[in-house]
Amino acid sequence: MTTAESGRAGLEADGDTTMALRAVNSFAAQSGGASRHDERVPGHLYGRVSVPVQPSGPVDEPGPVDLPGPTSTSASEPVPAPAFQAPPRKPGRDRYLDLLRALALVRVVIYHNFSWTWLPLIFPSMGVMFALAGSLMARSLSRPALSVLRSRLRRLLPPMWMFGVVVLPLMMLDGWGPNSSGHPVWWWIHLAFWVLPVSTPPFASHLAGFGGHVPDTWAQQIVVPLWYLRAYLWFMLLSPLMLKAVRRLPWVTLLLPLALSAFLNSGLVDQSGRVMETITDFTTFAACWLLGMAHHEGLFRRIPQYVVPSVAPLVLAFGYWWLQQAPVDQPRIGPDLEAVPLAQAIWSFGSVLLLLHLSPSWEKWPPRLERFNGVVTLLNSRAVSLYLWHCLALVLTEPLIAPLWNNDFFYTHLHWLLTSQWFPLLVAIPLIVLALVLFGWVEDVAAKRRPRLFPYPRRPRGQRRK
Amino acid sequence: MSRHQRPRRAAPLSRRLAAPPLRFFLPLTVLVTLLALLVLRGMANNEVFHDERVAVSVDKGTVPPGVLRGGPIVDARGARNDMPVSYTIPDKTVVLSFDDGPSSKWTPKILKVLADKHVHADFFVTGSMVTRNPSTIRKIVAGGHEIGLHTFTHPDLALQTGTRLSWELGETQLALAGVAGIHTSLFRPPYSSTADALDDWSWPVTKEVGSDGYLVAFINKDTDDWKRPGVNAIVKAAMPELPGQGEMVLMHDAGGNRSQTLAALPLIIDKLKAEGYSFKTIGEALGTGSADTRVTGYDLWAGKAFLWCTTFSVRLMPWLVALLALVGIAVFLRFALMLLLSVVHVRRTRKRGFSWGSPVTEPVSVIVPAYNEQECITNTLLSLARSDHPIEVIVVDDGSTDDTAAIVEGLDLPMVRLIRQPNSGKPAALNTGVAAASYDLIVMMDGDTVFEPSTVRELVQPFADPRIGAVAGNAKVGNRDTLIGAWQHIEYVMGFNLDRRMYDVLRCMPTIPGAVGGFRRTALEQVGGMSDDTLAEDTDVTMALHRGGWRIVYAEKARAWTEAPGNLRQLWSQRYRWSYGTMQAMWKHRHAVLERGAAGHFGRVGLPFVAVFMVLTPLLAPAIDVAMVYGVVFVDPYRTLGAWFGVMAAQAVLAWWSFHLDGEKAWHLITLPLQQVVYRVLMYMVLLQSWITALTGGRLRWQKLRRTGEVGLDVTMGEMPS
Repeated sequence: MTTAESGRAGLEADGDTTMALRAVNSFAAQSGGASRHDERVPGHLYGRVSVPVQPSGPVDEPGPVDLPGPTSTSASEPVPAPAFQAPPRKPGRDRYLDLLRALALVRVVIYHNFSWTWLPLIFPSMGVMFALAGSLMARSLSRPALSVLRSRLRRLLPPMWMFGVVVLPLMMLDGWGPNSSGHPVWWWIHLAFWVLPVSTPPFASHLAGFGGHVPDTWAQQIVVPLWYLRAYLWFMLLSPLMLKAVRRLPWVTLLLPLALSAFLNSGLVDQSGRVMETITDFTTFAACWLLGMAHHEGLFRRIPQYVVPSVAPLVLAFGYWWLQQAPVDQPRIGPDLEAVPLAQAIWSFGSVLLLLHLSPSWEKWPPRLERFNGVVTLLNSRAVSLYLWHCLALVLTEPLIAPLWNNDFFYTHLHWLLTSQWFPLLVAIPLIVLALVLFGWVEDVAAKRRPRLFPYPRRPRGQRRK
Repeated sequence: MSRHQRPRRAAPLSRRLAAPPLRFFLPLTVLVTLLALLVLRGMANNEVFHDERVAVSVDKGTVPPGVLRGGPIVDARGARNDMPVSYTIPDKTVVLSFDDGPSSKWTPKILKVLADKHVHADFFVTGSMVTRNPSTIRKIVAGGHEIGLHTFTHPDLALQTGTRLSWELGETQLALAGVAGIHTSLFRPPYSSTADALDDWSWPVTKEVGSDGYLVAFINKDTDDWKRPGVNAIVKAAMPELPGQGEMVLMHDAGGNRSQTLAALPLIIDKLKAEGYSFKTIGEALGTGSADTRVTGYDLWAGKAFLWCTTFSVRLMPWLVALLALVGIAVFLRFALMLLLSVVHVRRTRKRGFSWGSPVTEPVSVIVPAYNEQECITNTLLSLARSDHPIEVIVVDDGSTDDTAAIVEGLDLPMVRLIRQPNSGKPAALNTGVAAASYDLIVMMDGDTVFEPSTVRELVQPFADPRIGAVAGNAKVGNRDTLIGAWQHIEYVMGFNLDRRMYDVLRCMPTIPGAVGGFRRTALEQVGGMSDDTLAEDTDVTMALHRGGWRIVYAEKARAWTEAPGNLRQLWSQRYRWSYGTMQAMWKHRHAVLERGAAGHFGRVGLPFVAVFMVLTPLLAPAIDVAMVYGVVFVDPYRTLGAWFGVMAAQAVLAWWSFHLDGEKAWHLITLPLQQVVYRVLMYMVLLQSWITALTGGRLRWQKLRRTGEVGLDVTMGEMPS
């Protein structure tokens, strides 16, 4: 029994099995959602052929950042399954997409720790995340748009509120208040963005830093992830329209955001202000979101297979060139993809094209990757929490490491460790795990699942390590 | 191009690229070595990372005021990194410093002046000049002068990353160790000036270099000698502002004509000596001892190895470049020839009223050798059944272990005969078929190939000319929607519409494709039928026919649709078989070079052509991609990519022309750039492999190699030494 299956077993215990399955399977429904009880048709034969699923009740939505998580495991929640009865054959999640999502998250954490400018080039996480989300959104929109949006909002917002409940008081404790910006009325009005992030929620750019124990820009550093939720919210709200456009004029729709991004970043448009910030992010990643939708709609299967791998390298080359010729703020660090929106848009578009073209639809892990199943499953079921809280963990490493400089042993013998950039990452990992334990359950509650502390899948009883 | 192929359908897909790593090791090592040699040579010639941009100064808010007002030497080493200290040159002391050298022409002359005047100076050298002029560096050191770093390639470090900075300094130290066995702790940033010219962009460089343990030496007086302002101006500029004030004077011993510097130098020395100045190196002036330290052990030997490799590459490269240029010229000449001769061929065959003679209507025997072709054989036979030319079909089942024979019998087509034989290889199967054939015209095809109704008729029309012994058809790729299929589609269209037309006009067609070829029985009998001497029996028999005096032509309308290898592994095996088989066939027919008549024509035109373009050129072709990587990464990406895409454009024009000739839509050409790169590397690796096989064990069994389908292939590949 694979872990994916054990995850499903847990969900079935929640009730509404068919729909729970939909939630779990997300993409994988393509590879056999309907064949769940159909013993005659092995799931893998469906390959990438889309199989329509007939909903038979209120549908449990995929996760808020489209991270459908098998949040329960059979080990901690045993399902009464008589030994003599073979478990019914069920389709699995698409582990390839799970892997991409997990890689994207790990990459984000590493990038925020090291600030290596080459890292976004190796793996453009944000584009990949939006593409996966767009694909799932397209799948959900087979149902009435309003109910889809409602359930999506329900799953998106609570984890962010939880984050706000912790961060807002901390900022106020450190001296942030209505008079910080000089416009108390606006300060109060802007707070509404912490409830519904149609624009970036407000934060304090400079604070006292709790008596200098943390950098004075700590708030700025830890709210970095919020732009993603804001962008996600807009993509979600506009998805019904975008899906129609993809269906009617796929190629024009795919390229339109890139054209808009080129126009916005041409220097002709003043990009300052809250509204423009939102529009810029939208145009930067809309092409990826739309690619995800197009992937779900089967656009990639309708064109000859040689096209994407031939065109994508040219797209990447163009994006790279654009990045290299863009003016840089700090010549000694070099160009950063995250700082050049059009290059980001083009590079992400090219990478996502390639990754979605590959899309091998793994129903089971390839043997070599199977050992990562646990981590990948955990990351997928706690994606929003991890994403929201990792910056706080990284900021907290500073006051934790600083005292070690005064420790004679560390100073004399482990000086290399103190100066190493890897050390904060090592310290941050347990902090992140702690954050997942403390706040991750909100994701389950938002998804109307039984809250769990730490959804690391365990092997079902009786199965040996391979 | 297309020959008989039996893709192993049972091969597990997950092992697509499961070739042993060693097979990739040697070819890749050669390419990486080539790249490394290019880079070493480029470093010595200051071509690698060459960057003449200069940072325009901005604010100087971050530079400590003490440094701005202080002396020319800044110490930001170790604990002082946060609070850097400046040192001034003591009164009545002058430090002469020469930048950008050493040059083999001017530095020795300057050294002579200094020696005559018994004066020591500082030389801030660049790594590229050090590797080019090692003996000059040794002279500087022997003369008691002090050496400082001036980076390897002389970029403005304010525009470069920390990694680049470390590289610039590290490589220069490496070169110094290799040349003179020393390291130095002195550094002067390129484009730097007096300490008060430091700004927010150049200051981080000074701090970083300081944290690496270097003393940074700026200047007091810039003689501007590189502008060649005249000897008097140089002398005047070198004089101190206040009498008796210590100073660091900047001059240059390289980078152009330094005759004015050379002339001004003794005047400066004499004048300052007359004012009571003494001349010192920086180490002497600060009283710290020389900044240069001798190195031993690993550092020394690493430096020596670096210098040897660089010297080797500098000497080798011109030869390599010349060779590549020759090959490049040959390739472009071939492009031109293909373009020209394809036009000639088209004009000839499409001329109104052109015919080979009276229409050929006599019946034809079609021979289909089949070894485990159960997936394809039905389509093959059904397509033959629709032929608009009278034919008999002879299926030779070469000991298939699957249902091939049963399928053929089950189809029960009237004109099809089935002959079974124990597995004995494709040439034997073909000979069996020829022996059983009822007619004098014979068409050979593969069991996985599909003919159009007119294919046989079009293929045999040239036999109206009694001098023609064989005809090559036009094989086309059926599975062209996948990436690898599209690549082969492009390759086939170009190969059949350009190469074969050219060979037709030159009368030296090297291969009749196994997928679609017509033969005259008398011609086959004259050369003794198919032979299993080589892995490429089709090339072998074609060459034999040439030597027998037969003409071989190309019939472009005789189209046969074939299934190309579906993954890289199969493509690799197929190409390995072809290229090794071609080499074997050429070796077998090498005596044609000395023969008379038609055989001699083939031997002196066709064989060299094949040798150059199918056996030698592919070995050198990846050099263009290595050169591209070198140019893009290390030199000038825009010019390099321009040149690379220029070559690509020439190929695209040819490819488009061939698609046009064949009436194909040109959409597949979007994958041409990728195809060219992948094919160049693939063919290079395949040929290297073939050469190794030929030069080692393969040659012993030259005549003994037996092909038994894929098994035979595996036997030879299993014995690869690499």
